[in-house]
Amino acid sequence: MENPYIPYPVEVIKIVTEVDTKDIKTFRFAFVNKEDEEKYKYIPGQFGELSIFGKGESPIGIASSPTQPGYVEFTVQKAGVVTSALHEMEVGTRMGLRGPLGNSWPIEFLEGKNIVIVGGGFAFTTLRSLINYMIYGDNRKRFGKITVVYGARNPGLLIYKDELEAWGQRDDIDLNVTVDKGDSTWKGREGFVPTVCKEVAPSSENAVTVICGPPIMIRFTLPVFFDLGFSKENIITSLEMRMKCGIGKCGRCNVGSKYVCKDGPVFSLAELDKLTKEY
Amino acid sequence: MEKRLIKKDALTGIIGKIAADTTVYAPVKVEDNVLFKVLEKGDEPLVTFANSKNAPKNFFFPRTEVMLRYTRTTKGVEFSGGEKEAGEAVLFGVRPCDARSFVLLDMLFDQEKYKDPYYIDKRQKTTIVSLACPHPPYATCFCTSVDGHPVSSDGADILIVDLGSEYLAEFITAKGEKLLKYFGDVKADAAADQKKEAIAAQAEKEIKVQIPAKAIKPILDVNFEHPFWNTIHQKCLACGTCTYLCPTCHCFDISDEMKSGDGRRLRNWDSCMFPMFTKETSGHNPRMSQKERWRQRAMHKFKYYVDNFNAIACVGCGRCVMYCPVNIDIRKIVTDISKL
Repeated sequence: MENPYIPYPVEVIKIVTEVDTKDIKTFRFAFVNKEDEEKYKYIPGQFGELSIFGKGESPIGIASSPTQPGYVEFTVQKAGVVTSALHEMEVGTRMGLRGPLGNSWPIEFLEGKNIVIVGGGFAFTTLRSLINYMIYGDNRKRFGKITVVYGARNPGLLIYKDELEAWGQRDDIDLNVTVDKGDSTWKGREGFVPTVCKEVAPSSENAVTVICGPPIMIRFTLPVFFDLGFSKENIITSLEMRMKCGIGKCGRCNVGSKYVCKDGPVFSLAELDKLTKEY
Repeated sequence: MEKRLIKKDALTGIIGKIAADTTVYAPVKVEDNVLFKVLEKGDEPLVTFANSKNAPKNFFFPRTEVMLRYTRTTKGVEFSGGEKEAGEAVLFGVRPCDARSFVLLDMLFDQEKYKDPYYIDKRQKTTIVSLACPHPPYATCFCTSVDGHPVSSDGADILIVDLGSEYLAEFITAKGEKLLKYFGDVKADAAADQKKEAIAAQAEKEIKVQIPAKAIKPILDVNFEHPFWNTIHQKCLACGTCTYLCPTCHCFDISDEMKSGDGRRLRNWDSCMFPMFTKETSGHNPRMSQKERWRQRAMHKFKYYVDNFNAIACVGCGRCVMYCPVNIDIRKIVTDISKL
C-alpha cells in the first residue's frame, strides 16, 4: 500500500533570496531518486508538504511549473518552526517532500478563455506556476489573452524579478507590475492592485480571473471585477488553512464539509459562497 | 452464516485458548476501570461488564503512533524507515456501539483515494468479537438514535449474544469464521435465533433515551450563524475529554521529536476543542473561541460527516455525556438543535 505520509527524499539544489528583507526565499529541490520525480506529477495550483525531519512539515504552494522538468520549486516566507529551519538550509541539504496535494487551478476550464492573473505580495507563487505553464511553448495557443496585474508594497518586495523582466519583453502577456510606493530607482507603475485593475480594465468577455493575495487586497479588488462584469463562477482563488496530513484525515482544515487540503485549495467565488465563512 | 452455542462457563476458556495462539485484547478490570489490554497467561477477560472506559479505537488509531524514523547524516537528516507492520490480533468484548465506530472510521481512513496505511494495516489484521448488550448498561446509552442497536453485528466479525442459559456466537465474516474451531461444534438452532430476536427486542426497549439525531442535518445546513451557538460552549473547559473518549473522533496532530541524531515523526490524538488546533503561524485562528470549536464538533458529527460519508459520526455510547466535567450533554444539544 502506498503510504501518503512518507515524504520523497529531495536535495536543495538552488536558493534564491527574493526580497530585500531576505525573509522570502525560493528553494529549488531535485529528487534524490529520479523515479520519484515521475511520481510527483503536479498541476499548477497544487501544494506540497515540505518535510524537515526533527522540525515538522509545512504546506506550501508549488511555485514551479510542470513544464520545468528536473526540479520543483517553493517560495517560502520565514515564519514558523519549519520555515525558519528551511531558511537556514544550504544548497546540498537533504530533506523531504510530500505531495503533490490538493486540487489545482482548473486548467481545462481556463483553456480557450482570456485569463486575468491578479497577485499581491508573496501570494504570487502558484500564480507564477500557472503563468509559466500557460506561456510554455505550444501551451500558449490553448489560452486567449493573458493579463497579469502583480503588486507589492515596494520594489524590494517584488518576487521573481528576473521572470517579471522576461515576461515584460513578451508581446503575448499584458504584464502590469505595480508597487504601493516606489523608490528613487523605480520607473514602473505606482498604485494599489485594485486601482491598477480598474485602470487596466480587462474585459469580462470569455474571461476568468485568478486571484491570490492578502485578504485586504482581495476585499478591495473583487468589487472591481464585479463592476467589470465577471461572474462569481469566473473568479478563482486559493485558500490557506492550518494543515497537518494534507489528505483530508487529520480534521483541522475543513471549511464546512470541504477540506481545503483535499477538496481545495482552489475554489471559485461561487463555490466559496456555498461554504461557511470559517477561514 | 455459521452459528454456535456455548455453555455459559466456557466462554472465558475459549478466549484463553485463542490468546494462547494469537494476541488477544480483552476487557479487564484495572483498579476501578474496565480497560482493554493484551490478555496474558492467567488473565481473566471480563464477560459481564458494562463497557470499557476508553473506546477501543486506539487499537487501530493509537493515542501516539510512530509514522516514520530518521537519522542525522553528514548530508542532513535522512528518512530511514516507516513503522513495523502490525501482527494478527483478536479484539474481544467490543460493545456493538464501539464496533460500529470502526465502520465509521473505515469511511475516513480507508477512502478510495489516500488510504491511511497505519490504520488499515492494523484494522485488516484484527478480528473483532462483539459482545451484545441484552441489557444496555447505562442510562446514557442512545445507540438506537444513531443507527445502532444493542444487539447489532455492525463492525463485528463475530457477535456473541448472552441468551441467558448459554451464549450464541454468530460468525459474521470470513475473518470471524477463521476462529470457528475454538467455539466447539454445538450448532445453534432456530430456537436460539428466536431467543436472540426476543432479547434484541427487549434490549431495544430498555434504551430509554431517544434523540432526533437523524433529523437535525437539514437544520444544521441552514443554521451555521444561529445565536444558539452562543450558548452551548459557555461552560466548556476545553479539556478535550469528550473527543478523547469518543469512539469516532479521529482528529490528529503530526509532530517530530529528535534526540541526539535519531528522530521520529509521531501521530498523536488531537482535539477540535483545543485553541491551538486551527491556529495559524500568522496568529490568525479561523475558530477563534470555544463557540466556533463547539459548532465544529456538533457540525462535524451531525452534518459534515453526513455530507461526506452519509453517516452520523456518533455511535451513542454516551461516554462524552458521562465523563464531561461540566455536564455538557450531546443529547440535549441535539434535541435543542431539533427545535431551532
